[in-house]
Amino acid sequence: METLKYFLPQVWFVILALFLFLYVMLDGFDLGVGILSLTSSDDERRGILMTSLSNIWDANETWLVLMGGGLFGAFPLAYGTILNALYIPIFVMVFGFIFRGVAFEFRELSRRKLFWNFAFGTGSFIAALGQGFALGAVLKGINVDETGHFIGSTWDWLSLPSVLVALTLIQGYVLIGSTYLVWKTTGDLQETHYKTAKIAALTTLIGAIAITISTPIIYESVRSRLFQQPLVYIFTLIPVLGVWLIWQLWQSLNRKEERAPFVWTILLFVLSFIGLGLIVFPYIIPTEITIYEASADPSSLVIMIIFIGFLIPVMLFYNLYQYIVFRGKVTGHNYGE
Amino acid sequence: MEFLSDSVVLSRMQFALTAIFHILWPVLTTGMGIYLVIVEGLWLKTRNPDYYLHARFWSKFYVLNFGIGVATGIPMEFQFGTNWAPFSEAVGNFFGSVIGFEASWAFMLEAAFLGIMLFGWERVNPAVHYLSTILVAVGANLSTLWILTANSWMQTPAGGEMVNGKFIVHDYFQAMFNPFMANSVLHMFFATLETSLFVIGGISAWYILQKRHPEFFAKSLKIVLAAAIAVAPLQIYIGHLSGEQVYHYQPTKLAAMEAQWESTPAGQAADWSLLAIPNEKVQKNDWEITIPNALGYILEFKQNLSEPLHGLKEWKPEDRPHLVGLIYYAFRVMIAIGFFFAGLMLLSTVQWLRGKLSAKNITQQRWLMLAWVFAAPLGYIAVESGWIVRCVGRQPWTLYGQIRTVDAASRLPASNVLTSLTAFAIVYSLLFIAAIYFGSRIIRRGPNLNLPIPGTEITKAAVDTTPGEFVPDERPVEAQQ
Repeated sequence: METLKYFLPQVWFVILALFLFLYVMLDGFDLGVGILSLTSSDDERRGILMTSLSNIWDANETWLVLMGGGLFGAFPLAYGTILNALYIPIFVMVFGFIFRGVAFEFRELSRRKLFWNFAFGTGSFIAALGQGFALGAVLKGINVDETGHFIGSTWDWLSLPSVLVALTLIQGYVLIGSTYLVWKTTGDLQETHYKTAKIAALTTLIGAIAITISTPIIYESVRSRLFQQPLVYIFTLIPVLGVWLIWQLWQSLNRKEERAPFVWTILLFVLSFIGLGLIVFPYIIPTEITIYEASADPSSLVIMIIFIGFLIPVMLFYNLYQYIVFRGKVTGHNYGE
Repeated sequence: MEFLSDSVVLSRMQFALTAIFHILWPVLTTGMGIYLVIVEGLWLKTRNPDYYLHARFWSKFYVLNFGIGVATGIPMEFQFGTNWAPFSEAVGNFFGSVIGFEASWAFMLEAAFLGIMLFGWERVNPAVHYLSTILVAVGANLSTLWILTANSWMQTPAGGEMVNGKFIVHDYFQAMFNPFMANSVLHMFFATLETSLFVIGGISAWYILQKRHPEFFAKSLKIVLAAAIAVAPLQIYIGHLSGEQVYHYQPTKLAAMEAQWESTPAGQAADWSLLAIPNEKVQKNDWEITIPNALGYILEFKQNLSEPLHGLKEWKPEDRPHLVGLIYYAFRVMIAIGFFFAGLMLLSTVQWLRGKLSAKNITQQRWLMLAWVFAAPLGYIAVESGWIVRCVGRQPWTLYGQIRTVDAASRLPASNVLTSLTAFAIVYSLLFIAAIYFGSRIIRRGPNLNLPIPGTEITKAAVDTTPGEFVPDERPVEAQQ
């Protein structure tokens, strides 16, 4: 039983990290494309951008719903505390999702497309902003009492470091959105997004460097974690690898490769995620409550593994199948009949 | 305006508001998914292009409603954490897992195959497309299954006990198959089906009244009719079973539904109040029309009650639901609509059997068609009323008999909740207006009857009967058997 109490929360930590990663990667490019649509020069281009997402945004967003449900079931204390603390960023994100989601349906049926284009773009931006602040706030730490309940105040999430994290996350989304568009489009539009990808690669790099340097300086807890043996080697390796990946990405953009930039960006996301995971683990509310303290009963975790675990490969399969069905370049700018 | 500074009341209002709006959309898509499976199946079976065009036309409503349903549904999940953190922590062991199951079993399935269902007509073969349509419908209905499992458990918490403020599960299957579960799932399943059928039927009747493509829409009306003949009476029966369960398991709710202030001991007959003005202050009905001795027949099909019927006065005011009038009338509205549907069904079936619904005669059935148009929004009203009875009637408990609503809410600054509540009220109202506006635009445009039929070459191959070239069998005669 004791081993189970140790082992099961770890399994769920990994499953939730997987869901969150899939979400950040997949809806990341959706949100990036949405933000980029705000800079599109004309309506036809915005139409193509939305078409490139029309059949997938919903499934991509579902990974977050799945992460939320999983967190609720596996770490109820963390679910309550974190969402309670992040009341404002969460609702900012939720309203962003609402505008983004309905824009797809309403734009198709509307004669005045401009308004819904705008709703799509700003909705994506607002959702990304809310997520960025949420991430920043979780990394900064949430003010809780000894039982793990939130005792901070409404605006705790807002700080200079969380602004930095939010801006960097938005840049990261714009980067993956740009490389996705390089992959899915042709001609002028593709040319434009080779450029936006380069700009975003630079701004993301600057943000990442700023975060990497400032975090251990500002946060004592992170500092002690980073310089712990043997993790310190990994934490030195991550920025080095990150710079190498951005260099590879840059070159593939120069060579006008179509798919490689997207793949390099995904690898960058994987790397950042591993870094984040290692900083956070074994905490679920960093540096206050561990996964073992916040987890549901072992029997609950087992039931959830039975009911959700075997579906993970199935869900991956039918998402993949969907991408196969709709492979190839985006052609039109209308996504319905 | 005292409630404006009470974050618990505001959180309740926010949950109620978002739930009341959100349910409008999935209630249609869940039932309509099944309808789309039926018409696409009819198309594949008969190859009559009309059925294909029906699938395409009605799927426009599907996608409009689906999009808004997703957009308005996501806040529901997050609210458990933001506004109901103590509840989430207390019941995470069971309730949280079920919310996770909904996302993985239902939502992902629906989301992943919806794209293929809507945009994949030319990209996958008909069998795969049909499978996608079926999986979308299955996904939507699995959502009903999981959400109603979770909600039923809040009504009749089973399978464990509260230990130190946390629900510890002893038996997951007992918790899942809690006393309310099966009936609640069925009741909601039929509610979504009935609502969608009457929306489709109502819109079809509107076209018939307008004499726009009457023969095309007579088809959809008949499909609806064929399905609803079974559904409407079954729903009344399932509803009855649900009422009987409330009688056994949630006495406070039953007393509010029936505005019964005084108790009736077992073995006696009780009057049934048909219409009343309940007054919570003086704890009686100011005015009422009752049917003597009828309540026993309604609950158990016999005059004398086999269990005592507890009146509201038996509980202290803080232990029983408020808004008795709302619960009482919501319940009656739901029942009236259920019977109206069954009556309309019966009448339409009679006319069908008399041959009055043929493409030639149907445009003359003016009153019947008007009744169908009138019926179109009623399903929604019935569903909302039912949910009001179910969830307002559960008060003051969030987890019936275990966790009070006041203890379930997060401690939040009221201004935060007021801000988010206001934002929801504005945004959801705008979405509602937009949905009606764009929905009616789809109706005014009507079906596109000139759509190319996909896979016609596949059809040809399937029915190809031209004899192939004769190839003489050159094997030895012995091997030619």
